Amino acid sequence: MQKLMQDLSRNKAIYLMVLPMVLYYVIFKYFPMYGSIIAFKDFSVSKGILGSPWTGLENFQAFFDSIYFWRVIRNTLLISVYQLVFGFPAPIILAILLNEIRKKTFKSIVQTVSYLPHFISLVVICGLILDFTSRDGIVSTIIEWLGGERSTLLGSADNFRSIFVTSGIWQELGWSSIIFLAALSGINPELYEAARVDGAGRFRQMWSITLPGLVPIIMILLILRIGGMMDIGFEKIILLYNPNTYETADVISSFVYRKGIAEGQDYSFTSAVGLFQAVINFVLLIGANWFSRRVSGNRLW
Amino acid sequence: MGKQFRNKSILLLAIIMVFSVMAAACSGNEGSNKGNNASDANASGTNAAANKESEAPAGATELSLWTPLNPNASAIVKSLSDVLMVQEWEKKTNVKFSFEHPTGAGADVVQQFGVMVASNDLPDIIVWGTNNIQGGPSKLFQDGTIIKLNELIDEHAPNLKKILDENPDVARQVKADNGDIYVFPHLRVGEYGKYKTFAGQVIRQDWLDELGLQQPETIDEWENVLRTIKEKKGIAPYTSEKGTLLGTKSSYDFMGAYGLGKEFYLNGSSVVYSPLQPEFKTYLAKMQQWYKEGLIDPDYATNDGKAKDAKMSSGKAAASFGYIGGSIGTWLPALQQSEPNAMLSAVQYPVLNKGDEPRFTETSWAYANQGAMLTSANENPAETIKALDYLLSEEGHMLKNFGVEGTTYTLADNQPVYTDLILKNPDGLPIGQAMAKYFIANYAFVGTDDDRYNEQYYALDTQKEAAKKYAEFADNAATVLIPPVSLTPEEADEFGKIMTDINTYRDEIVTQIIMGSASVDDIDGAVEQFKKMGIERAIEIQQAAYDRFNKR
Repeated sequence: MQKLMQDLSRNKAIYLMVLPMVLYYVIFKYFPMYGSIIAFKDFSVSKGILGSPWTGLENFQAFFDSIYFWRVIRNTLLISVYQLVFGFPAPIILAILLNEIRKKTFKSIVQTVSYLPHFISLVVICGLILDFTSRDGIVSTIIEWLGGERSTLLGSADNFRSIFVTSGIWQELGWSSIIFLAALSGINPELYEAARVDGAGRFRQMWSITLPGLVPIIMILLILRIGGMMDIGFEKIILLYNPNTYETADVISSFVYRKGIAEGQDYSFTSAVGLFQAVINFVLLIGANWFSRRVSGNRLW
Repeated sequence: MGKQFRNKSILLLAIIMVFSVMAAACSGNEGSNKGNNASDANASGTNAAANKESEAPAGATELSLWTPLNPNASAIVKSLSDVLMVQEWEKKTNVKFSFEHPTGAGADVVQQFGVMVASNDLPDIIVWGTNNIQGGPSKLFQDGTIIKLNELIDEHAPNLKKILDENPDVARQVKADNGDIYVFPHLRVGEYGKYKTFAGQVIRQDWLDELGLQQPETIDEWENVLRTIKEKKGIAPYTSEKGTLLGTKSSYDFMGAYGLGKEFYLNGSSVVYSPLQPEFKTYLAKMQQWYKEGLIDPDYATNDGKAKDAKMSSGKAAASFGYIGGSIGTWLPALQQSEPNAMLSAVQYPVLNKGDEPRFTETSWAYANQGAMLTSANENPAETIKALDYLLSEEGHMLKNFGVEGTTYTLADNQPVYTDLILKNPDGLPIGQAMAKYFIANYAFVGTDDDRYNEQYYALDTQKEAAKKYAEFADNAATVLIPPVSLTPEEADEFGKIMTDINTYRDEIVTQIIMGSASVDDIDGAVEQFKKMGIERAIEIQQAAYDRFNKR
């Protein structure tokens, strides 16, 4: 106790600085968790969270029995896996490539241009995507030019996931590369010098110095990504899907949105689904961390 | 090595945290900005109210009124207290309204309403479409949010009482199953309340004339017309949008011709669900064939309202479902700018066999579940009812629909005629907005509608003809459409749970069949699936509610 007080008084400034963040998490993340209990209740707005009657696991049962259960799980996981396989390496590659560029102006132009889409509102981005992929859009024009046939690409369930993932990469590529660039600048330049003296070429340096230097951050981001596997924001999905593409596009969050807010207003059911999703995410996160520690020695905690 | 990496990873983790905090802070800002805007709006609302307070006579009853602002109005005023008619109304009835308008539309408003009710921070009056409320007004009453109006109406609302006494049909719609009245209604009744059909199919009349075609009446004629236009004009002639997706409960297309309602409807006195009917399969087969032939816009499921408007106003489509005011009024002037000879005209609701009378027209009821509810927080229910009832008096009715005589209308042969302030607004406002700036005629509120408003609102000849044509068989709708029934809170809950899943499933299977990615026979499997999902229970609930309605 005394030690704690000592520590507190010695590092006053640091504790003061961390306070807003702690408060943020307590108020906006921990406190609302209490609302999760409506997943086990038949919540009615007028009776309030505590006053609504308990129903046990009925809401979970209803979700597992729903004919959409497997479909939303499958779609969520598939889109996540695609995002991981194609989306995760992209900013790493970009960062390494940028790192190799010696011309300052060119580098900053590329960086600025690739950051830009990140700052455009998602609604606008989706408007652009819908436009580009429409029958008269630029993508259709290119396809026709290549000998294909014009069509509304988002009208077909087969295309949804590719368009969703590709546009996501386009939007976030530059922004996500920042953190890797930061990590790259932390690599000791002496290592490169030593390597050059030893006769290592550009690619050899990339392979033996740059990449290993990035491994810790890559692993951490990977763990976090895997921990968020079941999380796909509903906003972009609902802006892009239509009933003909539900088959490949409907994910847990869009399903929750339709059931909870748009049509059903079934708050308890959707809380149960959200809780289920969070539990899976939690298990994935723990699992990924354990795996990473075993394999590479990098871990979150 | 391990340790070094560990230290580094802690550093990097710190960076990640900083990034996520930034992201969180950004999104946090967005939220609070929204909040600020809302409170700004509120502040300006109260300011406006405060400013006018001095004008209001002393002793005016202060009432807060929550209502979503119609887009026509929100385009031109910040709050209903800026509307001339409302200011007059306040003077006449010695009340002072402070308006609360939720932001956004659709689901946003539903959400804000839910929060308002849940936090029990209630206004005195809520004016809204009660279809938006899960469980309807009876649930709000049961929860103690709103109060019952029967005695208040008996004592303080002579005008409404007269209407209800003279029109037992209307009274039945307004009352709940147990005879309670929860809503002070918005009505279409009486001599000037006959228009109840505001939309239907619209087609390029100039192309029909050019190609020597008659207006289509039956499905076969439609097919012929669409095919000819497709061949001669090289376009996919019939268009639609995702909001009114073909074959779904929100569609406005050819289902009615097959004797099918959009969702639940009446067959004699029993409630049926259209996708379960054998005719539904015939209908889907026809739509699939049309789609395959290119008679239907291949993008109908992805078009939004704007895309459809653009197609109809640029000659990229020849026919669609449209509103007399909002659609024809927009499409035709835009069309004629590029093609002066272009002409649209309304087409009668389609049927299967020549000479049949269409039954499934888009006709609303005298009471369309719209009106004012008084909350339990209202301390002046008698004054509130008196003020609302004023709108049903002759004077109030004219004020609501036509505004102030001499300013917004004049009387010619005892008939109200809008002045140029409305019809040719000096500030160049479209007629809908000009109306909304001065009075409440072109959207639902409380009180009675007036056909003489429609006649002038529909400025184009095509619109006037359309109003007549669509209304021709409007009465038939009463034999097949389910009247404004009310479900008990428990029923509403169960019904909602069943129907959200079914609606998604139906949207999907129907779209897949029409677009050809599923075969017509797949509807049989879907019917089985609907049954598994509990459609029969949903029908039962509707039937019970309908039976109770008949006993009212």
